[in-house]
Amino acid sequence: MSQFLQAAAYGVVQGGLLGLVAVGFSLVWGVMNVVNFSHGALAVTGAYVAWVLNVRFGLDPFLAIPVVAIALFAFGYVVQRGLINLVINAPIFLTLLLTFGLNLVILNGLQLLFKADDRTIDTSYASQSFAIGAVNVPYGRLAACFLALGITVALALLMSRTRLGHAIGATGMDRGAARLMGIRARHIYAVTFGIAAALAGVAGTMIATVGSFNPTTTPGQLTLDAFVISVLGGLGNMYGALVGGLVLGIAESLGGLLLTGTWVNAIAMAVLIVTLIIRPSGLIGKALYSGRVEV
Amino acid sequence: MADILRGRARSRQGLFVGWIRALTPANSWPALAGLLVFAAMLALQQLIEPGTQRLLTSVFLFVALAQAWNIIGGYTGYASFGQVAFFGLGAYTVAVLMNNYHVSFWAALPLAVLVGVVFAVAIGLPLLRLRGHYFAIATLGAAEGAREVINNLTSVTGGGGGITIPTFGSDAPTPYFGKPGFYLAFLVLAAVSVVVAAVLARSRFGYAMVAVHEDEDAAGAVGINTTVVKVVAFGVSAAIVACAGAFYAFQQIEFYPTDVFDASFTVLMVIMVMIGGSGSVVGPLAGAVGLQLLSQFLRVNLGNFNQLIFGAIIVLVVVFFPQGVVTYLRDAWRTRHFSILDNVRRYRL
Repeated sequence: MSQFLQAAAYGVVQGGLLGLVAVGFSLVWGVMNVVNFSHGALAVTGAYVAWVLNVRFGLDPFLAIPVVAIALFAFGYVVQRGLINLVINAPIFLTLLLTFGLNLVILNGLQLLFKADDRTIDTSYASQSFAIGAVNVPYGRLAACFLALGITVALALLMSRTRLGHAIGATGMDRGAARLMGIRARHIYAVTFGIAAALAGVAGTMIATVGSFNPTTTPGQLTLDAFVISVLGGLGNMYGALVGGLVLGIAESLGGLLLTGTWVNAIAMAVLIVTLIIRPSGLIGKALYSGRVEV
Repeated sequence: MADILRGRARSRQGLFVGWIRALTPANSWPALAGLLVFAAMLALQQLIEPGTQRLLTSVFLFVALAQAWNIIGGYTGYASFGQVAFFGLGAYTVAVLMNNYHVSFWAALPLAVLVGVVFAVAIGLPLLRLRGHYFAIATLGAAEGAREVINNLTSVTGGGGGITIPTFGSDAPTPYFGKPGFYLAFLVLAAVSVVVAAVLARSRFGYAMVAVHEDEDAAGAVGINTTVVKVVAFGVSAAIVACAGAFYAFQQIEFYPTDVFDASFTVLMVIMVMIGGSGSVVGPLAGAVGLQLLSQFLRVNLGNFNQLIFGAIIVLVVVFFPQGVVTYLRDAWRTRHFSILDNVRRYRL
């Protein structure tokens, strides 16, 4: 039983973190209809920024988060404005192809700069834990999970309460009408991608703090996780990614306890496919963007 | 069903006689050019060294894979991101039959194709109801799932430890083909896939695929059974990919689930079709040949930078030739309008 609780607790904190990885991915997909293959690469880029700040200047990763977020926002803004906006009206798979190429460029750039070694950001507290009954909760993962929660709530508030959020939502629903209302779609798209990149960078920093990362295998895994979570949670709802992340995190850690080998991955894929067939709008998603008009 | 496949040659002489009668110099030159290229490739084999032979063998493999992807992704408009599942299943069917049951390669090959087609129909019936990104992701999930199942059926497939096909001595069910043999095998496979794609594209069924691509509801309204069209297109594509996987398995001798279920196979198929130009026969052909030669050239000459440059080239081609290089050249030639700037403006926000 305690083993079961421990796995569940681990799944929850891991799921929060995965939700943070996916929330930006889901935002870009929902608003721009772009499946961003380079999302994992952006997360790992953020991890490297924080790692360099930590190694060179001894900056704590949690304090490095604003720097990472600003750097990645700027990078994302420029990429969207200068590159992805150029093919945004093309058939959907062209944007996918573009982000795939971008992914290769970023990853191999990182690999040339930092080598393909596994890295981790060392802190005195990340590996320590406290106990509730028989369940150990590591501080680092708990903090990362709370941060993920806070950021998701902040993003949801941004989308529902601010002019910027309304502009993003309006552009996602009907770009033509939004432009007629005076919304600068190019700028809004770039800001949206910038926000997604910043969130990915923050998530990457957290992953680097509680675990390890490298430029070869981590990005692909993160992008795939973001895929699964976005579909599970549904697009167009900021809390969807969080719910999807929690479901995936708990399912994986409990599955790892109950099943041998890597059967848990096969189960995760089966869940994904069944979700798509039965409820393509996700667990809590609504068909917000289904009436999208592309002008 | 038979009515759809019968195509335009609905004459009393049957399928092929009707086609041959309908040939004129104006419409038969692509077939003649194809025959010439095929003959040239056969002759070329005698002239080149083993290294070049190996390179061209990999080019032929990707020609077949790109043509297969184009049938479902280009013509029918359902971008499958799980085609590698059929590749891996074809490879493992052959390996398991040859290794565990001493079946000869030529007996295992049709079974591998059958396994691919059965899996395609099984996942196609539910998944082909999904559209756009959702279909892409569901098929991606199906491929990942298939890999995990193969990975965990250790008693049959050897699991993550890989599988080895016996190829030498009395233990071998079929003697190894060697480099010249596989050159020939993959050349024939590529040729067959090009012919299948070309024949499909010009048949009634091909027009049905394009109709589904353009507007599925309208296609249904004019009496096309869209479910049959989609599942058959998926099945034909899977058959070619599974066949390629079977040959690839025998060529590799020893491999792991991560090798033959590598998602980068799927991604390369998509990229080759998109960069060449989807929805035509020449596009994927040119895309596969061009991209595979380019990537091998970069690998040899640029060392560590090769993937970086490869990615940058993909980005540039997408921005400057969003409709595919071959499609651009064809349209530009027809309209005498070569401006690349207009090309960039086409999909700009």
